[in-house]
Amino acid sequence: MTSTLEGRELVVLREGRRILDGASILVRPGEAVAIEGPSGSGKSTLARTLASLLDPDAGTVLLGGRDAREIPAVEFRTRVAFLAQQPAMFEGTVLGNLGTGPRLRGKSVDDAQARELVRAVGLDEEILAREARTLSGGEKQRVALARALANGPEVLLLDEPTAALDPEAGERIVALLRDLRARGLSMVLVTHVEAHARALHGTLYRCERGRLLAAAA
Amino acid sequence: MSYAHITLPRLLLSLGLIAVAVVLSRRSRLGLERDLLWGAVRGAAQLIAIGYVLLLLFNHERPAWVLLLLGVMLIAAGATAARRVEHGPRRGVLFPRAIAAIGLGTVVAVVPVFAGVVPLHPWYEARYLVPISGMMLSNAMNVVAQVFERIFASARVEADQIEALLSLGATPRQALERQVRATLRAALLPTINGLLTVGLVALPGMMTGQIVSGTAPEQAVRYQIVILYQLVAVAAVAGLVAVAFARRLLFTSRAQLVLPQAQV
Repeated sequence: MTSTLEGRELVVLREGRRILDGASILVRPGEAVAIEGPSGSGKSTLARTLASLLDPDAGTVLLGGRDAREIPAVEFRTRVAFLAQQPAMFEGTVLGNLGTGPRLRGKSVDDAQARELVRAVGLDEEILAREARTLSGGEKQRVALARALANGPEVLLLDEPTAALDPEAGERIVALLRDLRARGLSMVLVTHVEAHARALHGTLYRCERGRLLAAAA
Repeated sequence: MSYAHITLPRLLLSLGLIAVAVVLSRRSRLGLERDLLWGAVRGAAQLIAIGYVLLLLFNHERPAWVLLLLGVMLIAAGATAARRVEHGPRRGVLFPRAIAAIGLGTVVAVVPVFAGVVPLHPWYEARYLVPISGMMLSNAMNVVAQVFERIFASARVEADQIEALLSLGATPRQALERQVRATLRAALLPTINGLLTVGLVALPGMMTGQIVSGTAPEQAVRYQIVILYQLVAVAAVAGLVAVAFARRLLFTSRAQLVLPQAQV
């Protein structure tokens, strides 16, 4: 089951500056939305606001038509997954990292599920036994993605997942996202690399001074 | 039993000990001379003042006076614990919380002991209530200061970890669990080390004082054991309460991490 994620007229103020200035976005079930724009344009703030890691000063975030403020934070964040630019790996193995989300709710990830998760993000099963903090940037990004998928989210929010990677690793991540989208997962990809935004083959927005503009195809 | 009196000239002689530290500080260019001298003067002045206050209090023992003195001690402890928390919120935000944590810890450690172990007659008997509460307040102050200093700093350094956990659906309590555990362990360690080394390394101040001024060692030791256990309780309660306050300051009601603005 997936729901529509919507941001309506979002405004975020920081020290008198309007970081978000009435940004609106609609992500329908199974849809992929890419937001590109220069750094400082407010796109990361938008992703964090949609993830409910930040409350907007005005405007509303809705999930499945319901105001996000009415949905308990824990429930909202298991349904809407957020990936930071350089995702933090927790101490321990990749296997341990993958089970973090379910463990928070007293559940666990069994070996078969763990193998399926790493395969879904294009990694070998051997990685499960490795120390998560020793992985390369691209591997960490994939493990973070698998870790988020372990929660069975309806929407993925990705904040510059390719920014810290070399171009080749970045393109592989975008290919992986296309693949996940083909399986019905809706997502928002925030990036300053226009080519990556276009390569997602979804709805394209441009973020400028805290507002979202439909980008020319 | 008589004890060696410290006359005023002899007391001044002990200032030579501070002089040793001052000379070392100057030779090693530590720049601590002013602090050392100021600390020596201020510490002595405070002790002499409390000496007279206690004398007055013992002669005019009234509940209001005893409670007033304890209140002043609590406020001083709270102000000290809330001071210079580098990565934390403003002092004005921390101060009332420090008072609550220190006060609650002290009440939990002091009330049952005076109710059941060392019965007081009357209940506000200053000779017991003031010095023992003072020791509890002081330990609570150190624990609370450590908790505040450490928890806000570690939340800042490990903000990405905490947010990663929140993003996976962790509650604030779950997201901050690692930092809380490390903070409480560090804050309680001196008290626990005190338990382990007492008698082996240090003879505690109160026991030493009692023995020197004529109390039978066996009774002085019993008092000290009670006090040690009280110190453990006060540290645990004050530490947990301070952590609970810090957690509420670090997260919004919607489980969002908010790092306090850097202090100037």
